[in-house]
Amino acid sequence: MRLFLLAALALIVGTMPAAAQWLDRSWPGIPRTAAGKPDLTAPAPRGPDGKPDLTGVWNGPTPEPKLDPAIAQPWVNDLVRQRQQDYQKGRPSYRCLPSGPEADRFAGWKRILQTPTSIAILNDDLTYRVIFMDGRTLEANPAPSWMGFSVGRWDGDTLIVDSVGFNDKTWLSRYGQAHTEALRVRELYRRRDFGHLQVEVTFTDPAAYAKPWGLTADMALAADTEMLEAVCELSSDHWDGSIADAANGGVTVAPDVLARYVGVYSGLYLTNKRTIEVSLSGGQLIARIIGAAGVDGGEMRPLLPRSQTVFEGLGIGYRFIVDDKGEATDLVEIHISGDSRFARQR
Amino acid sequence: MKLFLAALILTMGTIPAEAQWLDWPTPGIPRTPDGKPNLKAPAPRGPDRKPDLSGVWNGPNVVARPDKDNVQSWVSDLARKYQQEYFKTRPYYQCRPSGPEAERFGGWKRFLQTPTAIAILNDDLTYRVIHMDGRKLEANPAPTWMGYSVGRWEGDTLVVDSVGFNDKTWTSRYGISHTEALRTTERYRRTDFGHLQVEVTYIDPTAYAKPWGFTENMALAADTEMLEAICEWSSDHWEGTVSDGPPVSVPPDVLARYVGAYSGIYGGNKRTIEVSLSSGQLMVKIVGAADIEGGLGTAGLDPDAAQPLVPRSQTLFEGLGLGFQFIVDDKGVPTDLVEIHISGPYKFPRQK
Repeated sequence: MRLFLLAALALIVGTMPAAAQWLDRSWPGIPRTAAGKPDLTAPAPRGPDGKPDLTGVWNGPTPEPKLDPAIAQPWVNDLVRQRQQDYQKGRPSYRCLPSGPEADRFAGWKRILQTPTSIAILNDDLTYRVIFMDGRTLEANPAPSWMGFSVGRWDGDTLIVDSVGFNDKTWLSRYGQAHTEALRVRELYRRRDFGHLQVEVTFTDPAAYAKPWGLTADMALAADTEMLEAVCELSSDHWDGSIADAANGGVTVAPDVLARYVGVYSGLYLTNKRTIEVSLSGGQLIARIIGAAGVDGGEMRPLLPRSQTVFEGLGIGYRFIVDDKGEATDLVEIHISGDSRFARQR
Repeated sequence: MKLFLAALILTMGTIPAEAQWLDWPTPGIPRTPDGKPNLKAPAPRGPDRKPDLSGVWNGPNVVARPDKDNVQSWVSDLARKYQQEYFKTRPYYQCRPSGPEAERFGGWKRFLQTPTAIAILNDDLTYRVIHMDGRKLEANPAPTWMGYSVGRWEGDTLVVDSVGFNDKTWTSRYGISHTEALRTTERYRRTDFGHLQVEVTYIDPTAYAKPWGFTENMALAADTEMLEAICEWSSDHWEGTVSDGPPVSVPPDVLARYVGAYSGIYGGNKRTIEVSLSSGQLMVKIVGAADIEGGLGTAGLDPDAAQPLVPRSQTLFEGLGLGFQFIVDDKGVPTDLVEIHISGPYKFPRQK
């Protein structure tokens, strides 16, 4: 059976009983407002050395990497296209392998533990990194590893982390941007107050990208709660099919029917406004999602017919709802988390 | 194709010979006059005067299994089934977290201790957090791979209680199951600068009649660094079981000639392989293997039981993940037995 790809991505996220205490546990010793809530704008805590202490549980939205495809070497863009064709099934996190330096790994849940000589960043997928603060210098000729070798130092209140020694199996973004073993990563961490931690990430890898590029991730302290495991158990190894397969899938939709679906659909996805522009190009429906940058980067995606009204586009299902004249009135996006309906605007 | 446990491919970091970190002197540690780490110096203490367990630790392979009379029948039934399947569903072989498995207490790990939490970072990139902020254990925890752990100090001993394990992990590599009601207690003692001992107890009355456990002694890995050891190839694709019908039949008189004792050195230790015949099938028992590979490829729950050898040719046999090749003279009488490991063949001359 062909997959709707997102449905195949089964991350086992801990489901906590309603009675779980830790998710509602008040953290001892943190600044609170008069109302008893965590005071996220209080000053950042500092360690015995006077430096900011980044310790805590942090959570943040998916950052959007700022990459101009024009600076990527052709082999990188070729790989990105090929991986898109394969539904990105080789993405390390889909294969239950560590994400390494991938941009999306800077989002989501993590716990930071800071000691005088090292800082550990513990991810909710049960991987971790260690940043050495004991004065060692970077390995000159590091062995390739999934998480790299990281050393940190303080520049005022900013923690500067330099990393090398990544293997070339990880990606820099979920869209399939590759890197070489020569990748260097610099991170600048700033905990500007009690509740906020920002990291600026720069990827430098001349054999893959003509210029450094990166992202900024903003994290908020997840006070008075606890991080849960989210462990990948089902690898994408068994996914099958590609976009090219799907294009030869045997369902054809008449051009005049396709033409009736062209238009602009919009509504709310989660809490963000999302607009889907459907156009026709070379006899094929194309969708572009606006306002979903964190999700799909606003890329064009071909919609491949599964029936007269159901289409598949890069892992998301799309169903057109038509009136009795065959005109589309709504477009339903079919996610693993359920259906989201977008009304036609024009 | 039948597998020999050779199918287990762990990607170990191979570090260039000139790697600096593996030879970098850990700063700020006590040293003897000749500059070596002084592993017998007193254990370091944190600002709260409690022992500080921070550091990179390494310990020998853990060989632990409950007494076979101490497990409920469903546990021993499952252990037999897993043994038949070459333990292919062991979480570690499936590239999944080992959770509370005894063998996870061996090998490399890094401890990071802060006043409110201790992190134990394993070389397979999994980790645990032990909360030291005074919270109580979850009364109704959601099942997880690593469990929920809280710690407290009893004098200089760190006592860690854990609950909330899922039932997908094993407590021992020999296929020993547990339920979601499993509770573990660990008692950590850093007896001096260079030594950390942990006593582990498993409590799970629906699986084990009595609590059981083991003690592991770790040594500080000073002046070096821990490397990643990531499982990349799941055992999902392993196929075959011990009881798959032998595709090859060997005449009884040939089998009878192989009966005997073979012995030699493996991994620096003397090993003896006793080959016997039972109901027309060759059986093998390896003596002196437990401390080398934790019994990998040998016994299941019962370390004293002989295991069947399944013929693959007239001279080549397979037994629980290892290959066994008999070397015969021109009369068909064996002179040596070769054990085939992932790391290569090992030859054991016949003793009797």
